[in-house]
Amino acid sequence: MSDTFASDSAESLGILETLVRPAVSRAGEREAESTSAPMVTVNGLGVAYGSKTALEGVSMLIPERRITAFIGPSGCGKSTALRCFNRMNDGISGFRISGGTVLLDGQDVYARGVNVTALRRAVGMVFQQPNPFPMSIYDNIALAVREHERGISRSTLDGIVEQALRQANLWDEVRDCLTQSALSLSGGQQQRLCIARALAVRPTVLMLDEPCASLDPISTGRIEELLLELSADYTIVIVTHNLAQAQRISDKVGFFLMGRLVEFGDALQVFEASARPETAEYVRGAFG
Amino acid sequence: MSVQEKLRSKPQWGSGFGQFACWVAAAVVSAVCLSIIGYLVFQGWHSLSWKFFTTDPSESMREGAGGGVRVPIVGTALLIVLAVLVMFPIAVGAATYLSEYMDESSWFTRVVRTGLEVLASVPSVVFGMFGLALFSMPIFTFLSSSGAEGASQAFGRSFLVAAIVMGVHVLPFVIKVSEESIRAVPVSYRRGAHALGITKWRSIRKVVLPAAAPGIVTAVILGMGLIAGDTAIVWLLLGGTTTMGASNWWAPSQFLQVLRGTGATLTTYIFFNSPAGDGNSPQLAYAAALVLVVLVLALNVIASIVGRRRKRQGS
Amino acid sequence: MPLLLASAAIFSGLVVTLVVFFVAYNAVPTFRAEGLSFITRGGWDTQINNAFTPSKTVFFGAEPLLIGTLLSTVGAVLVSLVLGTGCAIFLSELAPAAIRRPFESLVQLLAGIPSVVFGLVGLSIVVPFIQNYVVPANAANVVPEIPIEGASLLAAITVLSFMILPFFVTVAVDSLRAIPRSYVDGGLALGMTKWRTITRIQVPAAAPGLVAGLVLAAARATGEAIAVSMVAGAIAFSPNLNHGPLYMLLMPIRTIASSIVETGGDAMSIPSIASALFALATLLLLFSLILSLGARWAFAWFNKRMGVRQAGGVQT
Repeated sequence: MSDTFASDSAESLGILETLVRPAVSRAGEREAESTSAPMVTVNGLGVAYGSKTALEGVSMLIPERRITAFIGPSGCGKSTALRCFNRMNDGISGFRISGGTVLLDGQDVYARGVNVTALRRAVGMVFQQPNPFPMSIYDNIALAVREHERGISRSTLDGIVEQALRQANLWDEVRDCLTQSALSLSGGQQQRLCIARALAVRPTVLMLDEPCASLDPISTGRIEELLLELSADYTIVIVTHNLAQAQRISDKVGFFLMGRLVEFGDALQVFEASARPETAEYVRGAFG
Repeated sequence: MSVQEKLRSKPQWGSGFGQFACWVAAAVVSAVCLSIIGYLVFQGWHSLSWKFFTTDPSESMREGAGGGVRVPIVGTALLIVLAVLVMFPIAVGAATYLSEYMDESSWFTRVVRTGLEVLASVPSVVFGMFGLALFSMPIFTFLSSSGAEGASQAFGRSFLVAAIVMGVHVLPFVIKVSEESIRAVPVSYRRGAHALGITKWRSIRKVVLPAAAPGIVTAVILGMGLIAGDTAIVWLLLGGTTTMGASNWWAPSQFLQVLRGTGATLTTYIFFNSPAGDGNSPQLAYAAALVLVVLVLALNVIASIVGRRRKRQGS
Repeated sequence: MPLLLASAAIFSGLVVTLVVFFVAYNAVPTFRAEGLSFITRGGWDTQINNAFTPSKTVFFGAEPLLIGTLLSTVGAVLVSLVLGTGCAIFLSELAPAAIRRPFESLVQLLAGIPSVVFGLVGLSIVVPFIQNYVVPANAANVVPEIPIEGASLLAAITVLSFMILPFFVTVAVDSLRAIPRSYVDGGLALGMTKWRTITRIQVPAAAPGLVAGLVLAAARATGEAIAVSMVAGAIAFSPNLNHGPLYMLLMPIRTIASSIVETGGDAMSIPSIASALFALATLLLLFSLILSLGARWAFAWFNKRMGVRQAGGVQT
């Protein structure tokens, strides 16, 4: 059974490489480009929490400056996979990599001597619940920037904050109340602030773990719009429960089931012509 | 800088120092705590004997003639019992009312809560002065008659007086912990009782309070520890003596006399025998301090055992 | 029955006004006779001695007691802020599980040690230590006006610090643990180190609780009578910087609370002394009123500044 899954062998990696093709699902919005290089290369990744296996034999190539969506039922391992990219799992007791590698731009992120804080700056992350810090809107964005660039001038910082807020389409709404507490913003605004906060440290990859799970449809729409804009400059990986959302915005889709990556491919292909029966069943809404 | 280079960069340093400082702080506090206990054990251990527990402190103020801790131990126990008798009904009543009947948003609730907060921060020495002011009034002669024959003022110092004031002193603490445990009783219990058509008070008495009982007991035991450890109120309101108000205090006929009389507790015994007091028998002070710390510690352990039982029940 | 419960609640909530009334009422003679000069004038010790002579009219000056109280409280609060914050961070964030529980018990143990025991140990260890190792040999020549003998402001600060520390640590740990895990994740995900996440996000977010805990600890320090009276020298003296900061710390003090237990035995039968002591108690009441309301106010203010709208009480 296991050999039918996209698994940890070199040959399956070869198959996956052929899947890295120009985005077709959003052909109308964006011109097809030539094959983009993989930004994240996952090769036979396995994860265990204590004796419990959470991920097994996951391999995929996440293309640069595209939106990749991870879908699958709850507890299928998609968030675990995501959190391996910036090593946010490190603090969890019992967590270990049971096999395989994650390469970011060719560099193994779990290799000895990797600067984890630098990794997390390169791979920004936005969480399911908006989690602005209990401080002003300005400080929410400036905090990490100040951390990374000690002695930065106020004017440079102002510029970075403004740019990040503009990128997150939040500037026009908050420009007059930057000193106000971030907790006074609405849920959707808070989530965009978290995106701005992540962008301010100039990441290469932006990961979002079900960013719209707690938002209303209008706020969700704005975030989706924003992600499409950002995908011109950033490699985006999004975990979502919302199949329609994955269909609307993603170029690549990975379908996870019970700790395995069942299928990974172009969004159109996964949704319209699944190679695996499990995928077809899931996208039809049969389970999950 | 490419992503690869970034990942290969040296990590920021400097955070190690802060973490190290926290470990040092914890080590310092642990060391201080352990050396206090260690010192008491080391200094007090060899003074502990059957005689120490069964003899009374000597009446003389001479240095080095302190005597044992029989009366102080009885005094501490008596004060704890009396203060709990005073405080318990009020504390449980107030905690029940605060958690079950009061509307959190009303100004009245706010006044009561503010009052309790302020009361909690009043130092025990001020309670002592309060007790003197209140119970020296002639109408309170029945509480402390012993020293005031024919005087226009009551003496204002006795077990009864000290216990009443001590009860008020620990009241906010006991109310707070009791209230928490009453609030922790699941709403479903109350709903269940409600569904059976039982009145609110009956459901509180039959369902809520029994369920919260271990928590309330914990609160009272911890309060007993506070009473045992207090010195200022005892010093001011029980009289700075080392003896009971009646020489044959163990006789039942003297009971009232004892309650209305002055006395000693472990804390005043320690103070009296410390190098700062008139007795100046440090060895006896260390031994009594050891007894007191063990007593308070035992109360805390019992409280946490009872508290743990509550948690298990709650889950 | 609810009526009975209500009266218990009302009694508990309002008994503090009784305390204020009886204490302040008895202080009226002193305040009427002296007004503000009660706290701006010195000479407490001699005045108490003079007051034993019935014929004399004595005016009291509690300024050195006020200074002694403020200095010892501020010192103890600063020490326990530094040590206590370290312990709280250690307990809530850094300690391995195997160390956390024992250390937590130790902190609770420290909280349970009665103040007279702190005084006894302070008198037996801290005071001699200061006398032997901190006091310079020529102290008597440098500071002729007051005996420099170990029992001092420094001893009071040392003992008070460890007395109030567990209360601060308990409140601080509670408020640090109440910080949502998502703030920590947010900081780590932005590439901040664990330590920087603690100091830049968690500690500031816990600030309302930390400040409230500190203010309550300060209230405890101002009101502590017995332990301070045992180690501080019991001389109504205002430490000054005339001989430098070290000698200031080595000067003896007498605090408001300790004066009450030191004088308030039989001397209470002399009306002028009794009234002066009630005036001291009134000052302490004023402090505890300011500090407890201050703790609540600080808690609300910090929360409001951070935009946390839920109403919350101060953990005592």
